[in-house]
Amino acid sequence: MLLPMGQGTILKVSHIDAFHGSFQALWDVTLEIHPGEIVAIVGANGAGKSTLLDTISGLLHPSQGSIEFEGKDISAWVPYKIVDLGISQTPEGRRIFPDMTVLENLKVGSYNRRARPVREQNLKRVYQLFPLLEEKKAQLAKTLSGGQQQMLAIGRSLMSNPKLMVLDEMSLGLAPLIVNELYRVLREIRQEGITILFVEQNVRRSLLEAGKAYIMESGRIVLSGDASALREEESVKRAYFGA
Amino acid sequence: MRLTILRPRGGLTPTIVVIVALALLPVIGVPRIWFLYIFLFFIYLAMANMWNLLSGYSGLVSLCPAAFVGLGGYTLAIMTWLGLPYYAGIILGSITAALFAMLISIPVFRLKGIYFAIGTLVVPEILRFAFLLWKPVGGAIHGRGAGYTVKGVAGLSQAQVYWFALAIGIASIFLMRYILRSRLGRGLAAIRDNESTAASCGINVFNLKLYSFVISAFITGMAGTILYIYQGYIEPASAFNVRWLITIMLATVIGGIGTEEGPIVGTIIVVFLYFVLAKYAEISLIIQGVILIGIMLLAPRGIMGIIRETPSYRFMLQWVTRC
Amino acid sequence: MAFVNELATPIVMGILLGGLYAVVALGLSLVFGVVKEINIAHGDLVVLGSYFGYVAMTVFGIDPILSLLIGMPVLFGIGFMIQKYLLNRAFRVSMDAVLIIAFGLSIILENIFLKVWTPMSRGLTTPYALSSFSIGSIRFPLVYFLDFIVAIIVMILLREFLKRTYLGIAIRAAAQDRKAAHLMGINTARVYAFTFAISMVIAAIGGVFLGLTFPFTPVSGMSFLIIALGVVVLGGLGSIAGTFVGGILFGLAQTVGGHFFGLAAQMLVAYTMVLVVLALIPRGIFGR
Repeated sequence: MLLPMGQGTILKVSHIDAFHGSFQALWDVTLEIHPGEIVAIVGANGAGKSTLLDTISGLLHPSQGSIEFEGKDISAWVPYKIVDLGISQTPEGRRIFPDMTVLENLKVGSYNRRARPVREQNLKRVYQLFPLLEEKKAQLAKTLSGGQQQMLAIGRSLMSNPKLMVLDEMSLGLAPLIVNELYRVLREIRQEGITILFVEQNVRRSLLEAGKAYIMESGRIVLSGDASALREEESVKRAYFGA
Repeated sequence: MRLTILRPRGGLTPTIVVIVALALLPVIGVPRIWFLYIFLFFIYLAMANMWNLLSGYSGLVSLCPAAFVGLGGYTLAIMTWLGLPYYAGIILGSITAALFAMLISIPVFRLKGIYFAIGTLVVPEILRFAFLLWKPVGGAIHGRGAGYTVKGVAGLSQAQVYWFALAIGIASIFLMRYILRSRLGRGLAAIRDNESTAASCGINVFNLKLYSFVISAFITGMAGTILYIYQGYIEPASAFNVRWLITIMLATVIGGIGTEEGPIVGTIIVVFLYFVLAKYAEISLIIQGVILIGIMLLAPRGIMGIIRETPSYRFMLQWVTRC
Repeated sequence: MAFVNELATPIVMGILLGGLYAVVALGLSLVFGVVKEINIAHGDLVVLGSYFGYVAMTVFGIDPILSLLIGMPVLFGIGFMIQKYLLNRAFRVSMDAVLIIAFGLSIILENIFLKVWTPMSRGLTTPYALSSFSIGSIRFPLVYFLDFIVAIIVMILLREFLKRTYLGIAIRAAAQDRKAAHLMGINTARVYAFTFAISMVIAAIGGVFLGLTFPFTPVSGMSFLIIALGVVVLGGLGSIAGTFVGGILFGLAQTVGGHFFGLAAQMLVAYTMVLVVLALIPRGIFGR
């Protein structure tokens, strides 16, 4: 089911500051995502991208500004309630549960209240997208390869019935072939109406996949706009494509 | 290291006056019952300072001070049975405690945080068992279990024993000052801030923690020997009892872990608490447990932690350091 | 042959006892694996179970094992609240704070026991607690056998709970990766409270059966804690099977050590084994 784009915003981050202890990691960050979009946040290591995602997921709270999801202010919410609402993060480094089987990992994914009743349907869907996971469903997650673990992590996020999927450095350490496959799956997921926000260091590839992009440096958004336009920008080319 | 760093806040002269006044207390004539408490104050102060060194500055919440107290005391007692004078017992007791600390650091330091607590918790218990079964000298048993009287101390006056306690109490304060401003102290501060960063800066984390542990054992052991000189006899159940830990933990926590003045303030309060609760033995401990929990939840930085935040303290500090 | 026969009794007793020790350690292992806190008050919570059984027996005339039917939900509730209101808060201060607060709790419990029940040693002396039976030429107390059976039941129940229920899976998830658990929508604070509550219940069961097997005093908590810690060191934290093996090893060390070195030394042998293992394999035999 395709959602018409631009129907209000699904996620609105307004002028947030965030701190890690006494270190300021985010400075006046603003972004807006509409339902059905696929948005990239790109930048070098340490630019604050993961911090931004953690703040959206409620693992960190902004000291200034607000975060709104579907119109609700979630800036002070605890992480599990945000998952209940419909935001699911696939964290950096996958973080699958190593001593659980693939199937158990997926089951944990459907822990939240909205996802439990539709667990079996979601499971079928995940198996369709990633047949490998069905094959290895009784295997311990720690025995999977990097790419397989990433598939599991994405599948696990899907199990939570998200409206907005947030992916942190999905392609880190993976071979291009696998990365292509993952992006293909993301595109399919998007067709089903899930909004996608992903964070990447690989600027070039991200700008190919995304519709809209934000470029971050040292905790600030320095550039934003249509992804294909950004690809042509001189400053971007110089900074990130080594032109 | 120049001795000027030991110059106390508030100036040298007032400090000397205070120390002399405290030293004169037994001569002036203080009510007997107060005397015991003031004596205990200095003993606990030394132990609390050392516990603070470990838990507040070295990141080692050690649950085994009883081991050092008991070892110091037992070494003292056994030495006196072997005919040595008590002051040899004091020295040897402290050394024994320090050596023991070095010994157990081998297994126990390999353990991080929580496992370290386990290790240190078990150690006094093992010593208690050991001394229940092991009777190295003499066949005479005083009290229950393998207890010993401390010989050769009958000639000592209360005042003399008090002065020993005063000495170690005051010494522990100066020792803490010295350590915290020395290289050891700066290394410990770096470790407290961020252990892995400190390690990558070339700080030998293990060695520094070991030094703290051994120094703490030495002084705690010494305090133990002085205590048992006063008490005159020792037996395993009370020597290696967890009560040492409760007292000095409470004192340090109330006063403020990781602050220099914390143990002083905290020990005053705890000794006063003991004075007040003297009649209610078991309830006193229940109250102490409640206070411990309450402080950790409500004021984890202790009294000094709170005071340091207030502007009037900063003002007073400036005024006092002017002279 | 006589030598083997002589050893047979301590070995069998050690194994049976080991089951009980495993139960005593299970709660501690669970809490540490999931919440990552070492509950120093654990031993005293076990003793709480023993005194609960004692009160049921002497004041109400109810068999201690039966009293567990009421005891378990009550202690579940108490454990839930301890974690929720005390220890979860302590976490926000620091890990050391948790240790200190658990220590404070231990002191409070021990001295309440001392005040109410005096230092006298007590035992849950039910009629069957004193009877014995034999397998072949080995004769041992019936309770040892009961202890072992209960241990197996408890461990199987716990394992099934952790595998099949959502809460169980949430507990395992929180143990393996706290951040990821948050991202799954798991309310970790509540999970911790449940974990602690479960550990209290298991501790209570351990306490009742310990009380049936051995006499206890208000300060037995320390000994039980050391046993639990010893078992956990031997078997590794966070593994049910490991705790079981650890318990048996500890039990064997005690009984066989006692056989060779005399009764007075039996705990010493067990403790020494623990320290040796700790020095060589800091994470325990099964540990992660």
